[in-house]
Amino acid sequence: METFSFYAFAVLVLGGAILTITRRSAVHSAISLIVSLVGVAGLYLLQQAEFLFAVQIVLYIGGIMVLFLFVIMLVNLDEAAKERQFNGQWLIALICATVVGLQVAWFMTKGAGALKLAQVPVAAAQTGAPVSPGNVEAIADVLFSEYLLPFEVASVLLLVAVVGSVVMAKKRI
Amino acid sequence: MTLLDALLFLPLAGFALLLFLPRAQSENIRLTALAVSLAVFLGSLGLPFLFETLSTDFVWIESPNIHYHVSLDGISLWLVLLTTVLTPIAILISWRSIQDRIKEYYAFLLLLEFGLIGVFIAQDLFLFYVFWEVSLVPMYFLIGIWGHERRIYAAVKFFLFTMAGSVLMLAAIIYLYNKAETFDYALILQALSTGKLALSAAEQMALFLAFFLAFAIKVPLFPLHTWLPDAHVEAPTAGSVMLAAVMLKMGTYGIIHFCVPMFPRAAHECAPWIVKLAIIGIVYGALVALVQPNMKKLVAYSSVSHLGFVVLGIFSFTQQGMDGAVYQMLNHGISTGALFVLVGFMYERRHSLEIADYGGVAPYAPWLSTVFLITTLASIGLPTLNNFVGEFLVLQGAAIANFKWAVYAALGVILSACYMLWLYQRTFYGEASEVIKHHMPDLTGREWAAMLPLLLLMVWMGTYTKTFLPPISASTARILVGTESSKRIRVAAPRANTLLAKEAADVR
Amino acid sequence: MSVDDAIRFLPELILILAATLIMVCDPLTSTHRKSTLAVLAFVALLAALAATAYSSTDPGKAFFGMIVVDGFATFFRAIVIVVGLLTVLSSNRFLEREGANSGEFYALLLFSISGQSMMAASNELIILFIGLEISSIASYVMAGFLRDDSRANESALKYFLLGSFASAFLLYGIALVYGVTGATNLSDIGSRMQPDSLLGGVAAALMFVGFGFKISGAPFQMWAPDVYQGAPTPVTAFLSAGPKAAAFAVFVRVFTVAFGNIGDRWEPLIWISALLSMTIGNFAALGQTNVKRMLAYSSIAHAGYVLVAITARSESGVAAVMFYLGAYALMNVGAFTVVGHISRKGERYLRVEDLSGLGVRQPLTAAMFSIFLLSFIGVPLTAGFFGKFYIFKAALQSDLIWLTVLGLLNSAVAAYYYLRVLVVMYMQEPGEAVNEVEPLSPALRLSLICSAAGTLILGIFPSGALHFAVKSAVLK
Repeated sequence: METFSFYAFAVLVLGGAILTITRRSAVHSAISLIVSLVGVAGLYLLQQAEFLFAVQIVLYIGGIMVLFLFVIMLVNLDEAAKERQFNGQWLIALICATVVGLQVAWFMTKGAGALKLAQVPVAAAQTGAPVSPGNVEAIADVLFSEYLLPFEVASVLLLVAVVGSVVMAKKRI
Repeated sequence: MTLLDALLFLPLAGFALLLFLPRAQSENIRLTALAVSLAVFLGSLGLPFLFETLSTDFVWIESPNIHYHVSLDGISLWLVLLTTVLTPIAILISWRSIQDRIKEYYAFLLLLEFGLIGVFIAQDLFLFYVFWEVSLVPMYFLIGIWGHERRIYAAVKFFLFTMAGSVLMLAAIIYLYNKAETFDYALILQALSTGKLALSAAEQMALFLAFFLAFAIKVPLFPLHTWLPDAHVEAPTAGSVMLAAVMLKMGTYGIIHFCVPMFPRAAHECAPWIVKLAIIGIVYGALVALVQPNMKKLVAYSSVSHLGFVVLGIFSFTQQGMDGAVYQMLNHGISTGALFVLVGFMYERRHSLEIADYGGVAPYAPWLSTVFLITTLASIGLPTLNNFVGEFLVLQGAAIANFKWAVYAALGVILSACYMLWLYQRTFYGEASEVIKHHMPDLTGREWAAMLPLLLLMVWMGTYTKTFLPPISASTARILVGTESSKRIRVAAPRANTLLAKEAADVR
Repeated sequence: MSVDDAIRFLPELILILAATLIMVCDPLTSTHRKSTLAVLAFVALLAALAATAYSSTDPGKAFFGMIVVDGFATFFRAIVIVVGLLTVLSSNRFLEREGANSGEFYALLLFSISGQSMMAASNELIILFIGLEISSIASYVMAGFLRDDSRANESALKYFLLGSFASAFLLYGIALVYGVTGATNLSDIGSRMQPDSLLGGVAAALMFVGFGFKISGAPFQMWAPDVYQGAPTPVTAFLSAGPKAAAFAVFVRVFTVAFGNIGDRWEPLIWISALLSMTIGNFAALGQTNVKRMLAYSSIAHAGYVLVAITARSESGVAAVMFYLGAYALMNVGAFTVVGHISRKGERYLRVEDLSGLGVRQPLTAAMFSIFLLSFIGVPLTAGFFGKFYIFKAALQSDLIWLTVLGLLNSAVAAYYYLRVLVVMYMQEPGEAVNEVEPLSPALRLSLICSAAGTLILGIFPSGALHFAVKSAVLK
């Protein structure tokens, strides 16, 4: 069952991604991207990363994609559609993709032991602790103790970004 | 706080004082500057009696271990006196010729005096470098602000040449510090001579060259001399005087005080080459001076020639040669300084430096002509005047080391008579033009005040060397013993062996 | 969060709170009275400086090792806060002149400084990254603060795009580091990094790209001249001193603490970058006619000198970095402040020739500018000289003879273009630009005198600062 779902989601991810870059219409591309992101969310769920799953749905599909669609609706699509598709630098793209792929492969072989978060529930289960519903608690635990400062300070970052964009967008300072 | 520290910091105090004087009181500014420089001069008169006892040493910066360590030896004693004598003169001769931004002008002259005295008395390599660079800044401004038409080009060229040389010296100083853990010159010298601080032959050579390049640019040794004619010609009179009379000595002083004692073996190895360059400089400078249409340029090239003698004397590694080199440093300061002063006087009257614009000055300004003649004769080395002593000693030293050197160098003496006397003939004899007739007043009281001390020194140094030579000889003898002994210790090294053999063959 | 934690994070807290307070007060102050907000910012910065000093009395880690208060952090916190103080002093008059005096500017400035301060004290990659981003985003906006100025807009956009690009590289590097060691805490990374780790080397290289952008070291320096030229001059002064110092602080900390084991891998990279920065910066500056652009190239060259000290990979190298950045911040802010003062409304007078005759018209301004320029050249008795001296001393101790020789020759080349400014200031007749320049306002005068005095004090009595730097250079 798990294998089957993994491949199903993988198909969603890859298919969506391919459609995103091949569709001529921007709206179609955006919708394909949503499909791909849903696939990624599914993969998170399979990894028992419920928190990431929720974040993926809320943030990417709910927030960012809606923003994308807004922008697409606001700019003139007819003009864009007529233009030649922009893929002149495929060679560089290919090289970059290969390098990234190799790095990922390296991780798979060398760095597997470092991925601790995924092991947390397993470890909990082994010590006989009550079965955790996922890693949401674990993350919350870390986030509000060890990583409290970055978590709080990130809000300052957001505040600065908001102030900055308002300053840049305001008519008269 | 000894007399030496007082003499060093008095000009700096004067510099600060001048900055706070109101701009409009130009007469007060001049008087203050003169008073400060005279006070320094009077104070410095005590140095010959006290110089061996004056030494101050305290920590300036703890880590790295930098000391404020100043003292005098027989060489630097006279160079400090040269500086303190010439600064009041430089101020006097600027009295009328500088009318623009007077405050800054005199402030920079005093700052220059501070830097120059510092260079000659610093016994800490770092402190020496600091003063070396500090003296650069006021001279740069003096040339660049109050100079003639191409002053900016000359000032920038002057600064960049010196800077380019000195950065390598800085690298060498830091390198030595990292090895010896001290900047103190005496301690480094001691460590080097006792073998506590052992440098490989390559290291010694590299360090020697790094130091030597900085000094050779300043001297200037042929072919690094190209900045000098520009700087001299474009500088205001006082700038030329200080530059020729004192600043060039920073280079030769550096060679004799730092380069040779610290790296004797490399100095001996390089000596044949350096001497060749020095002799080329002597002859080349004289030949170029011969054909100059511009008085200041003529004097500037004559400096290249005269300084060649100094370098030749040092690298002959003989007692006479070294004594002569140091004596010649002072002589050149006095006589070339005087020449620049006189050329400045003439420029103030005629507003031209071209020799062709003069002629027949003698009947209209008899005293000026007389003084100029005495200075000319001093410069070409007439017996009983100062240059004779120095040149004679240098030639003697060179002859002991290698007779051929003396022969070539003597050419320079002959040529110097040619160009100087020819200059005198073209300027002071012949038909006077209308302008000369009406615009050539004789020396004024202020001008006499500037020239008399120099004339006095020319005669004094030419006739009664006993005042000056003993301390010099003592110091050069020490340097020589140091270098000779280190040379002998290292005779075992194969390279030095062949070199000595070759030198011996040359002497024969 | 204990009290200790709070005290060790106090400077940032003060800055963030003050920035928010200024935002709140901004609508309540009328257009003519925005200077009160500047005063508020100034006071907040002073308080932050005091807090920095106070927190340094009890050094240690805070927030589970995210923040560390040691000598190194204190030193850089002090630098960025002092840069902030000088910027506030010099920007008030400037903004009034350009009709853009508003609370947002000071708020953004304080936010940016809080980010830099965080960077200086960060001991963990996430907080480092967040600090860097807070600092960067605020500075992007400040670069484009004069929105009617097309050059400022271009500058801001360029800064933003390339800066984000750099952040992405940095983040990639951080991700790889986490992949290799499973840690984001610098000390943990340092202890877990294997000396032969290839991927660790790749991560270091990627992070170097990110930092390289931020410190404008070659070959990642392309943005600096355009951004420095286009940004409002007080902002340029700030950008070239504050964020740069903070970026160098994290650079040094990450590369010594976390990547100390793999030093042999990254040393050649930095060696090359140091040489390139010095050479490109100095030689490109030779031909510049715009003062800001010239100073921008010079700041690239100075980044190169600092990289020489990092290449030395020693404690004296770290101390040299600290001292040099302190000196550099003072003289650079000072130099840009003078340029901003001369440029006048709309920044019309920015050519080198526009400074001609400044020595006659405004002797004090010219004298102080000369001190900064001589310090840039590295003339003794100025801070710049000792900075260079310590850097090359550290380099020679680590046997980097060629880099030292090339660096020193470079500094001789650099003398040429600084001298050109001195030449026009003192050796040419006053021009149109200088004849009508207004007298220094009290705030500007204070800012300039402080920087000039600092430059001279660090140049004549460097013992105190240097002693502190040497003591704090031990990074764990």
